[in-house]
Amino acid sequence: MTTVSEIIKEATKPPADDRPYSYRPAPSAEGWQGAGIRLTEQQMRARRARSIAIALALGAFVVVIFAVTIVRLGSAALERPTLMQPPGAVVTGK
Amino acid sequence: MSLTFARAEPSVAGVGDYIELMKPRVMSLVVFTALVGLLVAPGHVHPVIGLTALLCITVGAGAAGALNMWYDADIDARMARTAGRPIPRGRVTPGEAAGFGFTLAVFSVVTLGLLVNILAAALLAFTIFFYVVIYTVWLKRSTPQNIVIGGAAGALPPMIGWAAATGTLAVEPVLLFLIIFFWTPPHFWALSLYRIEDYARVGVPMLPVVAGERETRRQILIYTLILAPLGVAPWLLGYTGPVYGVAASIFGVAMIALALRVRGEHGSHRASKQMFGFSILYLFLLFAVLLIDQMSGGLFGHFAA
Repeated sequence: MTTVSEIIKEATKPPADDRPYSYRPAPSAEGWQGAGIRLTEQQMRARRARSIAIALALGAFVVVIFAVTIVRLGSAALERPTLMQPPGAVVTGK
Repeated sequence: MSLTFARAEPSVAGVGDYIELMKPRVMSLVVFTALVGLLVAPGHVHPVIGLTALLCITVGAGAAGALNMWYDADIDARMARTAGRPIPRGRVTPGEAAGFGFTLAVFSVVTLGLLVNILAAALLAFTIFFYVVIYTVWLKRSTPQNIVIGGAAGALPPMIGWAAATGTLAVEPVLLFLIIFFWTPPHFWALSLYRIEDYARVGVPMLPVVAGERETRRQILIYTLILAPLGVAPWLLGYTGPVYGVAASIFGVAMIALALRVRGEHGSHRASKQMFGFSILYLFLLFAVLLIDQMSGGLFGHFAA
């Protein structure tokens, strides 16, 4: 008789090959083994290097946008917008 | 009916291949001349804004280089000087290079426009357009004047730098533009003199291929004779101190002396190679002295006076 713990164990068992699809073997005559192209070691290394470079470039882009925003707005960057004030309202206080 | 699709091999291109696509050596001269344009401009530019402008100009220049390599991949593969570039070597596909170039071009122009100013962004967009469409696609394979007219693209960076700092243009950045514009033909024709077989093989009508070596050597001398006084012009017009004037005169005389040697050379390319090498040094030194002269705030002028 199958116990509850065995059912849970079976359901949560990791797949035989849990790598992303592109890392798994291509479909073969024996049946579906996984979709996509199998990358060689060199291709995987190159892709990883490119991914890191893109991440660094995007990070640098964010930093540039942030820095220029601060430079352009100065202390006004910390001021709250007053767009919700009714027309003609006088904003008091600091 | 059955359809067969060729499956592209996954890319093996590394980060270095993409950096190579951006022509880092050309980019370094572009960045330096743009930096000089930015720093000699009047007024104060915030360092963060200045660095952002330089970064955008760098990336824009790289984008133009990548798009040039994409379009010229067919002739690059058959020329000794360019056969080792990433596309002919099979490291990067033409499509990847085109996508990379277009993406960088759009990012650099939009970022420069949003974060610095519209004039600088418009000039950068024009530079990329001029280099890729006017020079690479149109002129390079159709006229021996290709690098004369196309040289305008390489001459624009100091104007972009100036525009980034001031939001306007003036006579001084136009002078810097003219210096690089008239520097380009002697520089590239000196190279093409000893790479003549390469250009002839792929059908690029460089001046030595079309008009012969003798005419090319004559043209090198003519352009150098225009370049040398142009190099001194910023001092003659009162924009710089005498130290710049003296240095520019010495560098100009050296360029003319080399051009004369190239003119008198027969059956050898020794002087052409020296001219090509020295022309790079000439432009670097000229802009470096200009920068030092301007940054010193006339200090050199006081010493000299």
